[in-house]
Formats: sequence, structure tokens, C-alpha cells
Amino acid sequence: MKFKVLIVEDSKVSREHIAAAVESVDGIEAVATASGFEALKLLPRQRFDLIITDINMPDINGLELINFVKKNPNYRDVPLIIITTEGREQDRTRGMALGAAGYLVKPFQPEDLEALLRRFLKPL
Amino acid sequence: MTPGGKALAEFVAEATEILDALGRDLLALDEARDQEADPEHINGIFRAAHSLKGLSGLFGQERITQLAHAAEDLLDRLRLGRLTLDDQVLDALVDALDTFQSLLGETSRGEEGEDLTRRTRAMEDRLARMGSPPPVVEEDPLERLELDASVRAVFTEYEEHRLRENVRRGVALWRVRAAFDLSDFDKGLADLNARLKPLGEVISTLPSSRPGGATGIAFDLIFGAKVSAQELEAGLQGTPAELEPLAVRPPQDGEDGPAFDLPRSPDAAPPPSETPDTGPVTAPRAKRKKKGPRSQPLALEAGETRPLLPVDTATSGPGTALTGAPSSGVTALPLGSPPRMRAVESPSATTLGLQSAASAPVPAGRPRPEETSLRSLTQTVRVDIGRLDGLINMVGELLLIKANLQRLAETSRQDGTVALSKLFGQELSRETRQLERKLEALQEGLLEARMVPVGQVFDKLARLVRRIAREAGKEIDFVSTGGEVELDKLIVEELSDPLMHLIRNAIDHGAEGPEARLSVGKPRRALLRLRAEQKGNHVLISVSDDGSGIDESRVREVALSRGLVTASQISEMTRRELLNLIFLPGFSTRSSVSALSGRGVGLDVVKNNLGNLSGIIDVWSERGKGTAFHLTLPVTLAIVRALVVGVSGRTYAVPLNSVLEILSVQPQDIRTVERREVLDLRGQTLPFLRLGRLFLLPEREVNRHFVVVVGLAQQRLGIAVDELFGQQDIVTKPLGGRLSGVKGISGATDLGNRRTVLVLDVAELLEEGIAQERRRA
Amino acid sequence: MSRFEALLDAFFYRPDEDVSGLMDFAAGSDGLASRVLEEEPTEYLAFRLEAECYAVPILTVREICKVPLLTEIPRSEPELLGVMNLRGELLPVYDIKLRLRLADAPPLVAGPDAGLPPRAARILVLKTDAGPAGVWVDSVAGVVRLKPSMVELSPAGLRGDRDCVAGLGRKGSQLYILLDPEQALAP
Repeated sequence: MKFKVLIVEDSKVSREHIAAAVESVDGIEAVATASGFEALKLLPRQRFDLIITDINMPDINGLELINFVKKNPNYRDVPLIIITTEGREQDRTRGMALGAAGYLVKPFQPEDLEALLRRFLKPL
Repeated sequence: MTPGGKALAEFVAEATEILDALGRDLLALDEARDQEADPEHINGIFRAAHSLKGLSGLFGQERITQLAHAAEDLLDRLRLGRLTLDDQVLDALVDALDTFQSLLGETSRGEEGEDLTRRTRAMEDRLARMGSPPPVVEEDPLERLELDASVRAVFTEYEEHRLRENVRRGVALWRVRAAFDLSDFDKGLADLNARLKPLGEVISTLPSSRPGGATGIAFDLIFGAKVSAQELEAGLQGTPAELEPLAVRPPQDGEDGPAFDLPRSPDAAPPPSETPDTGPVTAPRAKRKKKGPRSQPLALEAGETRPLLPVDTATSGPGTALTGAPSSGVTALPLGSPPRMRAVESPSATTLGLQSAASAPVPAGRPRPEETSLRSLTQTVRVDIGRLDGLINMVGELLLIKANLQRLAETSRQDGTVALSKLFGQELSRETRQLERKLEALQEGLLEARMVPVGQVFDKLARLVRRIAREAGKEIDFVSTGGEVELDKLIVEELSDPLMHLIRNAIDHGAEGPEARLSVGKPRRALLRLRAEQKGNHVLISVSDDGSGIDESRVREVALSRGLVTASQISEMTRRELLNLIFLPGFSTRSSVSALSGRGVGLDVVKNNLGNLSGIIDVWSERGKGTAFHLTLPVTLAIVRALVVGVSGRTYAVPLNSVLEILSVQPQDIRTVERREVLDLRGQTLPFLRLGRLFLLPEREVNRHFVVVVGLAQQRLGIAVDELFGQQDIVTKPLGGRLSGVKGISGATDLGNRRTVLVLDVAELLEEGIAQERRRA
Repeated sequence: MSRFEALLDAFFYRPDEDVSGLMDFAAGSDGLASRVLEEEPTEYLAFRLEAECYAVPILTVREICKVPLLTEIPRSEPELLGVMNLRGELLPVYDIKLRLRLADAPPLVAGPDAGLPPRAARILVLKTDAGPAGVWVDSVAGVVRLKPSMVELSPAGLRGDRDCVAGLGRKGSQLYILLDPEQALAP
């Protein structure tokens, strides 16, 4: 069984970058979506083992997504990783306070992401 | 085109799109210079700069990345209210866009001019030094908003800033709640947003699970209304939205009064300061209701200490004449200047502009060599693949109509009793042939539009190889050729997974470590080759290595021990058949699966994936010399010419690109060798399969069979059918979804008689034919 | 917790399971909203299969159409009657009578030997996780609104039919067997 990771990131470049980094780890399948809305639609349909989300997005923001996931009994155990830009400390802190499991700051090294994935997806 | 050239073209195309979007928002801000800037435009420009930074970083475009970074920085300060958007800042942004366009121009020509580099640096500095912070406010207005802390906790810094701004200005805040069906909530929300937009600002959209409905979802929109409660209510008529006011406590001291009546909340009575007459005089901004033209505040606020003729207003486009500048009335501007009319910089420039307008379309003064052209830099149009699919479906339908016309023409030519009708028939059939040729050209053009170089995948794989090799402790030279070979976009997309699997396999299982290689006299570094080559309607792709090869005896052992085949079956297998056992589900040649590639699943999945693309895979290997996987794929899946056949009263279509020939066979020509049926074809034995029997259809007595000989790569199979109906171009719709597991059928098509006809999956049938042989052996 | 239970759980929402914070904020903290929602009727589409009356939530029904020409899929499971072409879209059509043990063999409705379908028969196009699917029904009875209090869980002993009966609805003297389309069409 492969682990399934949901990526929520509105920037196409970043999204593909993250997806590539995630998929380069064996045993993980990435599902990438461009918005929080798409994520909301996907969550009830597929089982995800981990969610990676951007914070600043056009429809619902990443913090709202984290909150939604953490308050929903069906998904609250799914670990979330936030990916933010430099200088966005407040957003990051809020995300962590809302229950995110970890964060990465863009630009990040694929290795950093992989380390986080291995931490939350066991046994990988 | 070289891969590098292709990548560059891709970069230019994407960057152009981003700059276009940025330009649109910037233009909107520019046109509304005299008004309060729409935060959405600022945010839009910020996002564009952010995307551009990411994109150019990815493509190693250092100059653009740096400038985009500086612009993003400035815009971030702007959107968070740490900087006010004044004319100076706006001008700088417009100039920055100019610089971006020049940079992109050089990039697309493969240049990197000194001048422009210097200009870029200067631009970065200018952006960094930009602007003064807005006046400091003592009390945080947000403290006055009665909003649950848990809600505030999910606002981003930006959203919080917007909320603060709205509270500070006394805008009426609402919570707009709406519930939707989970399947189409985005449409509902988009509609709601479209309604809200002209009425104010949507600050945040919060999702929540709505009790009672597994299929529903509710949203709370935090909304700052610039209209009255009644107007808002009227504007939302017919939407599922419910309104609830968010209470705001009155400011401590003489802060900005509210621009509109506060929404009524049950416990908070309207604050006394609400009456407009008593509005504090210290806040001229609050008086600027709606979008009053600039002249108005000038006329009203006589006491205001504002220079009568500020330098920047003289250059601010429409309305310039009002300021009564020395060159009053002269508003003509050179042709060909950017839509933003800003070329006037010194008093004398106006006259210069007039002269140049008459003579040349270039603004006079210092003509810049890299003057931004309005022409787009890219010749590419991006099209949603779904649209192309739609067009191809349309062509499919046209082809059906053409077939009908052809039949009509034929009938009237043959059955025409009068000479006139015969003549008409001939005329019609000639025109139909014309139509046929044009349709073919159209079809070809459309298919070509879907073609992309397979190198797109190769490039991604090259990056992967380095990583995997490092982790596996192998030293690999990766060589890819034929990246320019083109395949249908859909196939290229679907190809990356199978190829990735094969490459991982090659590195993980095929290539030996450096020491092991040296000890058998091979070069230290292993060679991994990825090759594409077009052969007629097919593309061959091979993944080969010069590693240790596949251990046949081990394959035999594993296949037996796992019960995949019997000993007697294996004894009859050719070497090739034996090697092909590795594609059976549940086969893995390593007892310990490496940490790197949780294998065990793998080759059977690869084979399946390729099967879905009507492709097949074959393996070659020699002990000590290496392994090669050969993939055979059709060039396109969209429109194929098919042979229409009949079996037991059913109709099926067989893609013609895999049909080698058609035989007419008497029942006595079918031989039975060891209980399996075969045909003799020019001295060779051809496996033979009765389609009706395979599909468990009621068999009909026939005195001859038509045998459709199909082949892919080296495999051949004769498929017996009852009738042949002719050839036709078909558009195959994949069975997909719930039916993706159906064997032997790749999809369905419509032959024009409203009847759905199934399309045979030749690759799967070949495999079944061969497997059946093996089973019967 | 099985998927079916999860579905039921979501269906029979209990306010005490609610979490504070955003959910409270969203649902209205007075608790009135949830009580009202609980008694809100759900709309079902009722139809007949043989002599029984069945119903599915109307939100799961995409459309209802007359029985078109069906093309049989060779070697498929007996429940799959065939595929139909609905305005260019290819949809599988199933007979759930077999699964509900209302019939022993599928009707001969596809292929060259098929007769004309009965006049009242319809195909319901249902939305499922695995994509849209057509379901043969003998006739459509109409839309029925059932409040949660009119619905009862089928006793565990009865839930043998691969879990596709979600419960029973009663309105007046009419009994509706509520189907879970997801389970009824599970492969």
C-alpha cells in the first residue's frame, strides 16, 4: 500500500515542484490540487495519509484548511505540513497553533521535505 | 528543437502569461489613481510577482528572479498596509513591469545585455527604497471587533490586515453563511462571490462541516459591506446566503467614524458617534465616500494643506487638464506609447511629444534600444486538452456524416435509372472525396496539435536518475536520445510512471555497484540508456542498462515456487517467454526488497499501465551484459482507423494500426496442436483465437472464418470473426471509471447508427491468446 | 468503523460530538440550528423493483432516462447489463435485482436477441465515488420526503445484502427500502 499525500498549492510551479519532491520518495503517491476548494472536495472521497498545504491561496486559505481538517473527526488524525514563504512567521505560527505537524519555508530542499515525510509516514 | 530551446520557449510562454496578468492588475490600479486602491488588484500583482519569482528561479533566470523578488517584497509591504500606494510607488511598479518585459525579450532571444542588467539592478534598488510607512495607529481596531478568537486564528496575516482596515474605516462587517452541496459548492460560492463583489470586500472564506449532511458543506464569508443592510440583503436575494452582522465596539477616542450604518446587533445599541454630522473633522479620508473624482476633495477641503499643483498630479493622465498646468489643453501624446499615458515628464516634453506624434511612433527624448514591444513574445497558445478532445469528437462526427454521404453517392451512382441521376451521383461522389481529403487534413492537424515531444518526460527522469543513483550507491551515466520524438500529450503524461519504474528497476536491480563492476572488468560507471524512436504509427521506447542482466534460473525458480507456472509449462518455454514471466503479478526477483524501492509490485503494474495506452512491453536480457525493456506505443489514441467486424450478431471494431492482414479460412484449415488451435501461415504457426468463444457468445455455424491477424512487436495472433463490415475512422471513448477492469475491450465508439460498438484491445487479446496457449500446454 | 457506519454516522449527526471553536461559530452556538437540521426532511427518489418499493437519496440521482440501446460487455459480471451512450458519455448500466435477490438471472436487454424494454422501465443515473452509473428500475414512483424520525436502521441481522440496504423509511402505510447506492453498486 502506498501512502497518499495531498498537496494543496495554488502556484503551478510550486505545486509541481512539491509533487515531484514527494513522488521521488518511494512508496508515496501525490495528489496535487490547486486550491482549498478542490481539497475540500477530495477529502471525503479519498483517504489521505498526509496533507501539505500552502497558506496564502485565493479561495480558502491554508489556515482555514488546517482548522477544517483538525476539527473534523474524519480527518483530524491526518498530519499537515505547511509550506510558507520567508517572512511569513505569523501565518506559520498560527498554522502550527491550529495543529499543523510541521512546516517548510520556500525555497526548500527536497531532502527537508523527505525528512518530514519520513517522520510522519511510518513505516516508510 | 533542442530540449533547452523547448524549455526556454516554455519559460517565455509562462512568464508572458504571468506578466500579462500583472499588467492587467497594474493597469486597473493606474486607471484608478485618484481612488482608494482595490486591495484585490494589489494582491493580484503580488501573486503574479511571486509566481514569476518561482518560475524564473526554476529556469535559472537569475536577473528576472532577483527583480521579481524585489517587486514581491515591495508588494507584500503594500498589501499588508506597511506601505501606502502613492503615485511614486505606482510609477515604480509600472517601470518594473517595463523592465520585466525587456528582460523577457532578451531571454527569448538568448541574450543578456550589460545595459539591461544595470537597469535591472537600479530597478531593484529603487523598489527596495520605495515609500514611507503609513501613519501609525495607536489602538488595534481589530480589538473592537467582536469576533471569536478561534475564527481570528485562521486568518492569514493579509486577511487580518484587510479586516483591520475595514474595522478602522467603520465598514459594516457581516458574516455571510451559505450551505452548498459538496459536489458543486465551488460554483455556488463563485456565484455568491460575484454577487458580493460589487457590494464590498470578501475578506475571508471559512469552510465548516455542516451537521446532518454527508454531502453538504457550509461556508462563512467575512464580508465588509460598502452598502447598506437593505441593499446587501436585496443583492443576495435568491442565494442560499444568510446574513449576520458582526458587532464592532465604538472607537475609544475620536477615531474614524463609520461610513455606513452599523449592522444591528441584539445587545449593542448603535454608537452615538454614528450621526454623520458629528463625524470628526480630523479624518478627511472617511469623507471620501464612494469613488468621488479627485476634483471634489480639492474643491471641498479648502483648508487642507495640499500643494495646489503637485508634480505628480500633473502626470496622472485623465483629469490632467483640470490642474491648469502651463501647457493647458495639450493632451496629445505620441502614438504607440503604452496605454498608460505617462510620457510627459518635463514642461517642454509636451511639445516634443507633439512633434514626434507627427513623425515617428517612438517617443522622443532618449529612445531606449529595448523599447518594449506590444507584440507578444511567444507564438504559443495554450489550449486545454479537453477542448482538443471536443474538436476531435467533432471531427469524428463529421467523418460519420461523410461516410453517410459517400454511401448516398454510391447508391445513386449505381442505382440511378436515369442518366441525370447517375451524373448527379458522380458529381456527389467527387465532392465527397474532396470533403474526405479536407477532413483528413483537419484531423491530422488536430492530432498534431496534441503532440508533444517525449523529451518532456525524459528531462524529468534525468533529474530523478541522479537522485536514485546517489541513494543506491551506484554510479550511473544516463544517456537519453530521441527526446524530439512526438507522442500524444495524453500518452506522454501516462508514460512517466511506467518509465520511472523501469529506471528505478535498472538502477536498483540492474546496475552493479562500482566495485562489483570493476571486478568483472566493466567500466566503473554503469550506463543507463533511454531511447525513443518512431516507427510508422508506433513509437518504440527502450530503457536499457549494461548491468548484471536477469538471472533466468532464478526467474524459473521464483515462478515455480510462487505457483505462477507449472514445471511442464516452464519446460516448454522459450527463453523470451521465460523472461516475460517477470511481468506476472506478484513476481519479484529479490528476496530482500531494497529500502529504496519498496518493490514487489512493479513490473505487472508497468505492464498494466502500458496496456491502458494500447502499448505493450517486452524484455531482453543477457547474463552479465545487461537488460533492455522495449515499449511499443501508438502515436495517438484519439482517432484511429478501425476494421469493423461481426461475431455472433455483435459488432466490434479492431484498430487497424495493429492489423497485419486478413485471411479467409475454411474450418478444415484450422489445425489442433496439443489441444490448441493454430493456423499455418506461410510456413509459420500462428496462434488462433475464436473471438466468439473467448467472449462466451452463442456460437454460430459458419462455413468459413475471417481471421484478422494482429501483431504488436514480435507477437502475432489470428482472431477469428464471422463477418467483415469494412473500415471506418473511429473516436474511441475509454470505458474508464467503473469499467476500467474489463478485459479485451479498450473502449467504445459510435458508428453513426446510434449503436455503441466496443473497440477491441489488441494488446490485451494478444496477451490472452499467448497466455491461453501457455495454459493449454 | 466500516465505511457504511461512517456514512450512517455522518447521517445521524449528534450535536454532542460537535467540536468547539470554528464549528460552533459556523453552526450557530445556540444549538438551535442543529436541532432544526436534524428534523429537516431528506428527499428520496422512490422506484419499484419487482414488487418492492425502494428509494435512494435524491442528491445521488443525476438523471432519469428511458432505457436506450444497451451494448453488452463480454465476460462481465452478470449485474452489468451493458453500456449505454448518453449524449456522448459512456455509462455502465447495472441490474441490482440480482444483488437484492429479487431475481435469479439478469433480463435479456442487451445484444442482438434482446426484446424491447417494458414501457415503464427507466435507467437512473446515480452519482457514485467510482463515477456515474446507470441502474435499471422497473418504474419510477416519485419523490418522497422523509424526516429522520421516519427512518429506522435495518436490524443487523437483515444487513446481509452486502450492506446495500441503509434502512427503512415509513410514510403512512408505505414502506421504502432505503438503498445506499455506493454499496449497491460496489464491485
